Amino acid sequence: MADKEKRRSGVNPPGMPAGKATKSDSDREFLSQAGVGDLLRGAILKMVEARSDDPIGFLADHFCNLASVTAAGSGGCGDEEQVNTGTVSAGAQEQQRLNRALWHLRLAHHSQRSAFSNNVRVAYDLLNFTGPQTCAGEFSEGPDGPCTVSPAGGGGVRGGLYTQTLQCLCSEGGVPASTSAPLLRRLHCHDHEAVPYDVFRHGVLTCAVFSDYIRQAQRLYAEVCCPGEGTASRALCLAVLGTLKEALETSQGSDTNYCANANTKVNSCPEANVKAIRYLEASAKISPCKLAQAMAGAQTQGPGGNMDAKEFENAAAELFITRVKVVS
Amino acid sequence: RKSRMNRLNPTVPADQYLADSNVLFYLNDAVIQLLEHKEEYNQFGVIRYFAEYFSSVKNSNHVLFREFNYIQATPHNRASFIRVFWKCYRQIGKSGDLLSMLEYRSLLQLLCPDFPVVLVQSAARIAVMDDTIDCLMSFSDFLYAFQLQFYYQEFLDCVLVIYQDLLAGKSPNTVIVPTSTSIEQIPSVSTEENNKEERPQDGVEPSTLVECIDALCDRFKHSHPPRSCMREILNQTDRISYYSFLMSLAKQEAINQTIGVLPNCTSIPSSNSSSSAVGGLKEVQKKASPRRNIHHRRRMEVESDGSTEETDSSEN
Repeated sequence: MADKEKRRSGVNPPGMPAGKATKSDSDREFLSQAGVGDLLRGAILKMVEARSDDPIGFLADHFCNLASVTAAGSGGCGDEEQVNTGTVSAGAQEQQRLNRALWHLRLAHHSQRSAFSNNVRVAYDLLNFTGPQTCAGEFSEGPDGPCTVSPAGGGGVRGGLYTQTLQCLCSEGGVPASTSAPLLRRLHCHDHEAVPYDVFRHGVLTCAVFSDYIRQAQRLYAEVCCPGEGTASRALCLAVLGTLKEALETSQGSDTNYCANANTKVNSCPEANVKAIRYLEASAKISPCKLAQAMAGAQTQGPGGNMDAKEFENAAAELFITRVKVVS
Repeated sequence: RKSRMNRLNPTVPADQYLADSNVLFYLNDAVIQLLEHKEEYNQFGVIRYFAEYFSSVKNSNHVLFREFNYIQATPHNRASFIRVFWKCYRQIGKSGDLLSMLEYRSLLQLLCPDFPVVLVQSAARIAVMDDTIDCLMSFSDFLYAFQLQFYYQEFLDCVLVIYQDLLAGKSPNTVIVPTSTSIEQIPSVSTEENNKEERPQDGVEPSTLVECIDALCDRFKHSHPPRSCMREILNQTDRISYYSFLMSLAKQEAINQTIGVLPNCTSIPSSNSSSSAVGGLKEVQKKASPRRNIHHRRRMEVESDGSTEETDSSEN
């Protein structure tokens, strides 16, 4: 095992110049601190024991299971989850915070604007580590634009954590990873970046709306799909997609109107509001009669063939995603 | 010879099981990559990291933008790369554009920055069935030739050596049991060939080639195409040239399925400027004619419906 250990740690053989030696020392230290040796040894033993036909797949599953077991937080209850070795390290703490943040974000639907905003604020503070956790309880219904209590040391949520939050939101919202990937590409931040509150809120809200949108799209597909067959006629699907697209486009011009009428009590972030409104109007557009109109039109003409659920979902997702501003 | 993972064969020793799966290679690479970014990871993140690494290997997403040494290191990596190449550029297949060898190389380098030109050249030679590769190729022709070349690289190199030895009239390096027939055949090859240059588009006796390839497979450590596929091709003709043999292999659906990452050979449109050859093989009696830029021979389909044999005149 010794030489495997060496190989695994990427350590240079003895006799290398001093510069390299320092690197390999720190590498070794990192690996032993992170428990990599034991981790991999355990994995290999399990793998050889199982003799699966798909060893790589087996390892992938093994590590995924391990990761979810050690990450399993208990939502907002706040009890400490012990990691394998029995010590609660920074990483485990981070995961716990993430879980609690997600729990908060799930509490209110994004259409309940003020409640949702509060929850986003709480989640943000949880993830913005050196921030003012003590202030979490002090927020009530009010403008949450410029924060009256500015975080002491926390300069923002770590980019990786932010991206992870978005990923979880999408997958918990029932959006398959492949569908949400293009959206996340537009929203994500690099790990080394510190995400400010506005960006965090924008991302979270977009993902929440997107999840709803996709679920709606899935429901729509189920409507037009022939029961019994797995697919729907392409013409019908295109008609439905057209309606969705139209719905998304109509509310483009409504920003200015809304802002002029803005109630001071309501969240002052205009972009988020526009999205919420857009969604509501989109739902209205996809009313039964509008849909029936589109479908009637489609029956008589249009391309032949069928469209399956995945293709429909991807097309619907694309309509939404192209409207999302890229986070720079 | 790659042994298949087999649950029903509990006597596969642990070492061999580990070796065949290339797991240690992946673990090694995973740790090296981890160390390069160790500042980003804590103890918990490490488990997640390995989960993601192996998930991406399992899903064949792991080769994109990696260095050449990595992507060619295991059969799975090679197959994954071929698949990525196809997925990224299949639009070319649909649009029917013809590209040059260097253009394909550029495309490959977008996916793997240090992808060597030598490999692309070899693939192009198969696709074009000639040494001179300055003409344009369809995506389909290049893709399947590339698959064969990249996946079975080591094997093809050995076959070429054997082939050239046969052409030169030498007894091939691989040890074959000299039977009376093969001894007779080798001199006859040299008599016919001694006035010609030894170029891979000239032909050899297929049965001799089959024997040599069989012997090669017996001792060969790397992957090779299924023997039945190779025998099938070689049994169909009196004379076979290196490139026509390879191109037949490239377009064999059975081989495509063995590698298992690309769709059916016929599903990607290939440019069709002349009729297909019978049984997939080209009659070789001449030196290759100079290539035209746009025309290029329609490559064999194994399930051929046409029975017209291509003659030289129809080429031009």
